[in-house]
This record gives sequence, structure tokens and C-alpha cells, in this order.
Amino acid sequence: MVGEEHVSMLPQAPTKIWKAEVNGRQNEILAPSNAILLDVLRDKVGTLGVKRGCDMGTCGCCTVMIDGVPRLSCLTMAFEVQDSKITTVEGLSEGAHLAPIQQCFAEHGGSQCGFCTPGFLIVSQALLNENKSPTDQEVSCAIEGNLCRCTGYQQIIESIQAAAAINRGDVEPAKPASEAHSNPHPSGPN
Amino acid sequence: MTDGYRQQPGKGSDVRVDGKRVAGKLRFNPPGSGGSRPEMKERDLDFIPELEGGNEAQPAGSHLHDKYRTGTTVGKRTPLVDANAKVTGQAWYGDDVRLPNEIIGRILRSPHHYAKVISIDTSKAEALPGVLAVSTGEDAPQKFGVLPVTKDEHAMAVEKVRHVGDLVACVAAVDEATAREAVSLIKVEYEILDAIHDPKKGLLDVDEPIHWRGKYHIGSTNVQKRVFQEFGDRSKLDQSSATHHGKWKFMGVNHGFTEPHAVVAHWDSNGRLQLYTPQQVPHYAHRALATVLDVPMHQVNVIRTYVGGGFGGKSDPFPHEMCAAILARKAGRPVRITFDREEVFWVNRGRHPSHIEVEMYADDDGRISGFEIDALIDGGGFASFGHVTSYYNGVLATAPYELGSFHYTGARVWTNKPASGAMRGHGAVNTRCAIEVGLDDMADQLQVDPIDLRLANLLPPHSKTITGFRITSNGMRQALNRVREGSGWDEKFRKMPLGKGIGMGCGFFISGSGLPIHWDPNNFPHATVHIQIDMDGGVTVHTGAADIGQGSNTAVAQVVAEVLALPIEMIHVRSHESDTSPVDLGSYSSRVTFMNANAAISAALEIREELLNSASNILEIPVEKLILNDRRIYSKRNPSEGVSYLEALHKSQEDKGALIASGAYRTPPMGGVHKGAAAGLAPAYSFSAYVAEVEVDVETGLIKCTDVWAAHDCGKALNPLAVEGQIIGSCHMGLGQVLSEQMVYGRTGHLQNPNLLDYKIPSVHEMPNVTPIIIESCDPEGPFGAKEAGEGPLLPILPAVVNAVYDAIGIRVNDLPLTPDKIWSAITKKMKLEGIDDPQNLPPPRLDFSELQEKLAARSSEHNDRDVRRQRAEDTEPYINGVLFGFDPNTPPEEQDGDWKISVKPTSEQLDNLRLAGSAWSKIEQRKMEDGK
Repeated sequence: MVGEEHVSMLPQAPTKIWKAEVNGRQNEILAPSNAILLDVLRDKVGTLGVKRGCDMGTCGCCTVMIDGVPRLSCLTMAFEVQDSKITTVEGLSEGAHLAPIQQCFAEHGGSQCGFCTPGFLIVSQALLNENKSPTDQEVSCAIEGNLCRCTGYQQIIESIQAAAAINRGDVEPAKPASEAHSNPHPSGPN
Repeated sequence: MTDGYRQQPGKGSDVRVDGKRVAGKLRFNPPGSGGSRPEMKERDLDFIPELEGGNEAQPAGSHLHDKYRTGTTVGKRTPLVDANAKVTGQAWYGDDVRLPNEIIGRILRSPHHYAKVISIDTSKAEALPGVLAVSTGEDAPQKFGVLPVTKDEHAMAVEKVRHVGDLVACVAAVDEATAREAVSLIKVEYEILDAIHDPKKGLLDVDEPIHWRGKYHIGSTNVQKRVFQEFGDRSKLDQSSATHHGKWKFMGVNHGFTEPHAVVAHWDSNGRLQLYTPQQVPHYAHRALATVLDVPMHQVNVIRTYVGGGFGGKSDPFPHEMCAAILARKAGRPVRITFDREEVFWVNRGRHPSHIEVEMYADDDGRISGFEIDALIDGGGFASFGHVTSYYNGVLATAPYELGSFHYTGARVWTNKPASGAMRGHGAVNTRCAIEVGLDDMADQLQVDPIDLRLANLLPPHSKTITGFRITSNGMRQALNRVREGSGWDEKFRKMPLGKGIGMGCGFFISGSGLPIHWDPNNFPHATVHIQIDMDGGVTVHTGAADIGQGSNTAVAQVVAEVLALPIEMIHVRSHESDTSPVDLGSYSSRVTFMNANAAISAALEIREELLNSASNILEIPVEKLILNDRRIYSKRNPSEGVSYLEALHKSQEDKGALIASGAYRTPPMGGVHKGAAAGLAPAYSFSAYVAEVEVDVETGLIKCTDVWAAHDCGKALNPLAVEGQIIGSCHMGLGQVLSEQMVYGRTGHLQNPNLLDYKIPSVHEMPNVTPIIIESCDPEGPFGAKEAGEGPLLPILPAVVNAVYDAIGIRVNDLPLTPDKIWSAITKKMKLEGIDDPQNLPPPRLDFSELQEKLAARSSEHNDRDVRRQRAEDTEPYINGVLFGFDPNTPPEEQDGDWKISVKPTSEQLDNLRLAGSAWSKIEQRKMEDGK
């Protein structure tokens, strides 16, 4: 791999100030002018929920929402999206509550090893923002850029449809993990 | 850790009617919250077995653990206990471990297939500002490998590089750019050697074998392992009424997990190594690290991060883990190494590229009189799990059918490619595909339905295979019947128009390996689980089982919750660190649920007994008359007479504090005595049957799998949600291998598609509708009857699709994956042969039943009754492979038939007649040569 001619990778590109709103918080970060958004998000902003799977836009793990549109952060230059609003998986929840899409992925087996899950959550949330009642076909088209090696996609589609139903108000969200409050001292049956 | 992160307790944004904010009402598990569910739940009778007074049907009979069922979680669709971490981005995978003061490691990899390393000059790299450590093979001379018998790996090249991408040196620097720059400044002088890429050439003597095993080396070939097995009576095979001969080629496939390997190594202030790695098998990594780094095991703490998919690809101890540790030791700072996707392919350990030849025979009663299997598997540069794979390619084909004879020759050779290793369905997948397609072909020749052919040849529950594997529960028959019904098989098979087809296949897989890889004379258990309950009542479960997304933490939590009748949220599984987790052999061989849940049950039972005793003391009611249910213990007769779980717990804790219990699991002694008898031995086996429907475009050769009916016998689905996830996921992975995935090596032996664009993992559009069907055969030794569901479900999808393609267009292609070009060239070949002009005029195969069909149907219905009785333990007569051929099960068949053989070495006559892989036996070991090399 070492050729005769040595082309140095150093020094790196000059740094500039990168500004963007990530999950509702303004960031001003010093980054190399050729920085990739994925690197900035993971290494500088600290949103480690954005995953690096392939570095070439094939797996979809690094998908983030930029001004409401899902985009692959590994193929996006950070300064290309200067001053935009970025949402990562960490910003999906509604305040302190899990978003329906997160809750449904957890409850319907949409997430096994979980590595592709952040990407799937972002694209499916973007879909549900646009389309309240997607068909299975539309869901498939929305997630076609994301690879999942565990689930075989079927339970992911079920999760997204379940979340859509909750968003529409067709279904009450399942009582969320109220058992967590379980008192080890319960009273008896009388 | 994360700026702008909002999921903190107390930050709720709900607003009351009076306009005040309501703080901290969280919809996810909040830490340290207390009682909001004051009353006990009613017993959930739907999940208590009928023989224990509940409503859960038990068609397969009762189970040892039935009396501990409390209707809490077992059998219920349970979300993974770590799902919330995964959907909020909090799950920490390898590259998410960011320690203060970390530096970045990069690896220099070989550009040559096979070369001697003459010299390495690292001076320029070391001189580069920002470089903190450089290391080469000299720093780690110790060999390691996942199997103790085949340790042939080094952290970095010592003497030789064995494939493109083999590790040569590594560097740690302040940032990635500097590290990459430093790697490019290392000058290596190589002497290029003749590389081998074709496994067939690996069988030949060469000047410079890829590895040298001293006196055990086979000739001077590249044969790493050879296997010969002959069982049964092969003398009458030439009188068979149907024979199938299949010559197969399987390309190598990669696990394709989404998380690239990553590792963080850190020598802490006390000089102990803290190693963070997404490992399926942390314990073997632990052992190897201690060996290579030359430190005692107790000075290494292996911390398993969340694992972003394993499938066998993260189960070897890896050289990059050693590199990180060495660099961190040199630099005195934490080192993080993360792979590019390309490096994942260089490390590989995927399924072996194989040449498999099968000859199969059936007699005029439609009995299978023989399987003859020859498998040459391409191991790549290292042994990895290959020793075991070499056996599995043969022995895992000995069930679920009763065989008249079984003959297997296998060889695994080293080639100058990235090493093959264990991948989901380890060793069994390719051969299974070949024999299931062979059975389909034989059914065609005998003019019978392939499902009936199988139904009439199944081994019953509680029997033995021809090689002596002990079959316990066996749901094969129900699986076949269910997919037949579900798919509408009888209306579709051989009746659909050209281009549409339906096919089926079966599967058989181990549920935990009978012997641990590190054989231990002191009977160390395979799995150990510790349970600890302090005064707060929360149950901490320590297990070393590696949750790689399959949900092993969930399974362990479930069984503990079930036994103690506590909500699953009160069970906290700790499985990340080797410091706190008892030794577990890891997530391979589909052993985790079977072994860990068993260990967890035995630990939980100890706690249960203590709680019951205390309750009995308080209530003055004998233990037998008490019931555990949802955080309470009360009298069977009068439920209002009872104590809460906490009261009983505190009583048990008097004068001793926390309740602590330990449970362990070891497999029972079993198996034959011949050499290699332990390979493929398991405490239980899973069975599966799939039907696949495909559409083949005869104009282009493109195959689309549209529907799959997938029945899998997992004994008892502890968590049907997870079992279904495993079944569908297995379909996805198997479908990739049969239709699109392959590691393509070019003419010069170079891997051409080490990325996820050219390595074609099925996307959502390629997925069929999968109908998972769970069969519960209630395994007598499984936890609550459970067996594996992670790997077995992958096996049947390959042959089911290949058979369905035949049903659609009448062509069998024995070269996976079935890419459109291969199908199209087979179609044109057939058109030329039969003088057809238009592919639309190809004749799809049709079937007229012969007389044998009725005979088989009668036999299978007779066997059906037998199997039901045996499954329910109403018939406990011994049964061995061979009874179908008239042998007495009480005497070994070799005593009843002079031609019955059990042999693991070819005779001198056989030596002249061996097939491809078998020819590995024509060479003799160095120690048997007169002048050893």
C-alpha cells in the first residue's frame, strides 16, 4: 500500500467555525473546513447515537434529519449544512417521553442489535411527518436505503405502522413500562 | 456525555390544567422510582401449563420446570430489556466508548497475498509529531487462536503475511489523520511468495505451506484439517432405486453486521488492562489477551460493549484487540481502533467458500439408504473455527432423517484469502442445502411428494442418529405438517405455471455444543449465573452471556422473573464485564438460551426456596401450600393469607444481608467414542421446515422470493417476539446467500467487493413475506423446554429457494448465489439442449404420483402416532437410527450386520477411490514419514 511517492495527508485543512442547531441546541464548533458531518456529530457534538457503518452511504446507519429531510451524514460535508437544524436519534423524543416511533420499535421487535436503529428511526419519523397513513409499500420505499441484518425488516415495518396508528390517534399508546414502578411491597388480593 | 440530550428525569414538559409544569412523569423506565402499582396482579392462567392447573396447552407433554411457571413472562411477547437504550441512541457500541485522553490507532495491512516480511522500518512513522506508539509483530510473539488445538494467529505478522489485509504493524497517534499518515510512513520490505487461491490447489504439496504444523503437518500441503467418517452398511447402495448426484459450489459470504469492529484498550492506574470490545465470546478474547500480552487473566478486564450484530463474525479473539492493548501499553493512554468497512472484510471469518459433492441413495421402499458427502472448504489464511467447521459440514447432515449409511470426507485448506470462520448456521448450511435439494430430486425420481418422502423417513423424538447424536425433543413432523398446510402446498406443488414455483427444505441444528472449546478436566461448567438481591428487592443477575442483539439478557431476565414471580423490570442483568460476570463460553453454537437460562433457573430456584421458607415461617403455612405470584407469596387455599415479596425477602436476609445464589449448567455425558464423536454433539437439537414461493423471470433469470412459511421447533418460545425476529432475520440472511451475496475474488485472487455496495445484502425490497410458525416440542432439558432459535432457522431457506426455482422453471443450478446471469445461462443451455426457441415455452416440471406415494403416506401416518407417543414420553423404548431398516434398537447395529461399519480412517482400498476433499487422505502426516521435513 506504500507507493514510491509519498503524498502526505498532513497538515489537515484549516479549521472554521461550524454553526448548527442540533437537537434544539445551538452549536458553535471549530472544525476542519473539509469535515464530514458524521465526524462532527460524533466527535465534536457528541451525538454518538449517529452510527458509522460503512462510510459510503450504503447502510443508512448515519442518517440524520437536516431541516426535516433525512440525509446520510457520512456523505454530507459539515459546512454544506451550516446553520441548519439537525435532528439525531437523541432528539426524537418528545421532551422526556419516548416518541411513539421509538416506543414501537422497542415493543414490536424493530430493534435487535440496535446498531441500524437510529438510522431507521430517523427515516421513519421523517416519513410519518409527511405521511400520516403510509402503505406498507410506502414504508418499504422510505427505508430502502437502510440495511438491517438482524430483523429481516418485517418487524421494522410493523413497528412503523404501529407508530403511525398511534400518531393518528387510532390506538392508545401501550401503557409504557409502568411496571418499572413496581413496588416490591404490593398488597394482597383483598 | 451528549449536549442537548433531553431525556433526563425531571424535565417533563406536561402542563397541568392550572398551567403548572408537571415534572418528571416519564414514559420510560425512570431510575430509582418507587411504587405505583400497589396491588398484586391476578395469576395469568393462560401462561401456566394445563398440567399445573393453568390454561396453556401442552401437546408435547409436561416439563421438569412446569411447576416453577408463575405466568409472569415466559411465553409472552417481551420487548428486549435493553430496547430503550437502543431506540434512544444510548446503547454504547465499540466506537462509542470515548475515554478521556484517548488516542487513535490505525493498522498497516499487507498489500500482498502471501509474502515474507524481510524488514519493517518504522523510524519515519515514529518521528512524525503526534505519533505516540508504533508496534510490529516483534512486540507480540505469542500465537493465539479461538481453538486451543489450532493456535496459528499473531497480533501482527511475524515472518509472513498470509492474505491481503493481514496485519503488519500498527500506530497510535493523537488523531486519525496523523495515525493514517504514520501508517503510510512505515516501510516494509516483502519477499513475495506463490499464493494459493483455489482450495483445490491447497490439497497439493507445495514448497511453502501457509502454516507449518510440524510433525502433524499433512504432507507439505495446505490441508489444515481432514475428516473421514463411515457409518452404516454401504454394501447395497448399488441396488438403489433412486440416486442423486450433486456437485455444488458455494461462494463465501460475510456476516455483514452493521457495526464495524472497534476496540478501546486502556491500562488503568493500577496497571490492569480494561479492554472494551464488541465481542460475542469475551471469554476466549480474555484468554488470548492474557497469553499474548503475557499478563495473568485476572489483570485483564474484558468489557463487552453493545454488539452491533455478530452472527459469528465477532467470536474469534482478534489481532486488532491485541494491537490496541499493545499500543495503549506503549503510549500510556487509552487507544481506540475502529475499522473501515473494508477492514471488516479483510478480517472476515465468514462462511467458507466450498466445493461440496453429494451422492444420495434411496431404496424401493423410499428409505434413504445412504448419504455420501464430500466437502472441500476454503479456510483462508487462518484456522479460526475451522477444525469444527470441517466436522460440521458432514455430521450435521445425519438428521433429521434415518439413514442406511453415512459417509463423509471433508477437508479444510488454507488459502491466501481472509480467513473463513463461524457464521450463523456454522458449517451446516452449505451441506444442508445440497442434501435437501438432493432429496427433492430423489422424490422426483421416485415420483412422490418431497414432504411425504421426508415425513416417512424422520427420526423420532428420543432417538439416536447414525453417528450417535442423542436426539431428545423433535418437532420436525409438526413443522413439516404446519408449513404444508400454511402454504397450500398440495394445491401448488408442481402445478404452478412456468416462472412460478414452490419448494421446501428442512433444517437441523445444534442447541449448544456438547463439549466446550476449551476442554477442561475439572468439569468447569459451560455457563454460570449469579443472582444477588439486596434489601431494596431489585434482583441483580450477573451472567457472562454476550447479548449480541439476540436478546440473551432478556431471556435470562425472563426466566428469573418467571421463577421469582417478579415484574421483569425488577430484574437487572449485568453482563458486560468479565470482572463482575461469571465465566460464560460466549454466544456461539446457539448455546446461550439453553445453557444460561438453565443456569439462571437453578440460581433462581435457590432464591425461591429461601423466600418460600421465610414466608412459610412468617405465615406458619407449609411451603407446599404456598404460591408465588406477582411480588407476593400466599396460601393456595386462602390468597388473602400471605406476605409481600419484600417481607419474605427481609426475613430471609436476617443476619446475612443480601441473598446471593449461583447456578451453573453443564451438558450431560453423551455421544459415541469414535474420533470426532464430540463434534456436533449437543444437549438438544432444533428442527425446522420451510416452504418458499418464488417468481423467476425466464427472460432475465431474475429470481424474486415472494413468500416464505417458516416453521421452527425451538422447544418452547420463551419470548415469541424474539423467536419470530430470529426466524425472519434468518430468512433474510439465508436469502442473501442463496440469491445475491458473495465475496468475489478476482483472477488474481483479490477480493473485489469489500464494501456494502458491491456486497449485496438484501434490502427491504428483496424480502419476501415471511410467516413465522413456532413449533413447541418441549425439550426435557431445555429451560422451560426451550431450545435454540438463532441459527437453525437459517438452514432451510437456501434449499427451499433452490427447489422452488426448479419447480418454477425445471432447472437446478448448483452454484450459489443464484444470480440472474447463472440462471439465464442455465436457461439458454436448456433451451439449446431441448431445441426450444422461446424461454416462455420451457416446460415446468410436473408430477404423477407413483405407487410408492401411498406407501409413504401410510408409513408416515404410522410414524406420526409413534412420534406423538414418544414425544409425550408414553413410549420410552430405545430407538436408534436403523430401526426403519429392521434393526433391533437394543443391540448395536454393527453386531447385527457384518457389513455395518464405524470407521474414521480410510482403508487402503478406499484410499484409491476418494473424491476431491477425500484425497487429502492420500498424503501422510510428517511424523509418519521416514525423513520428516
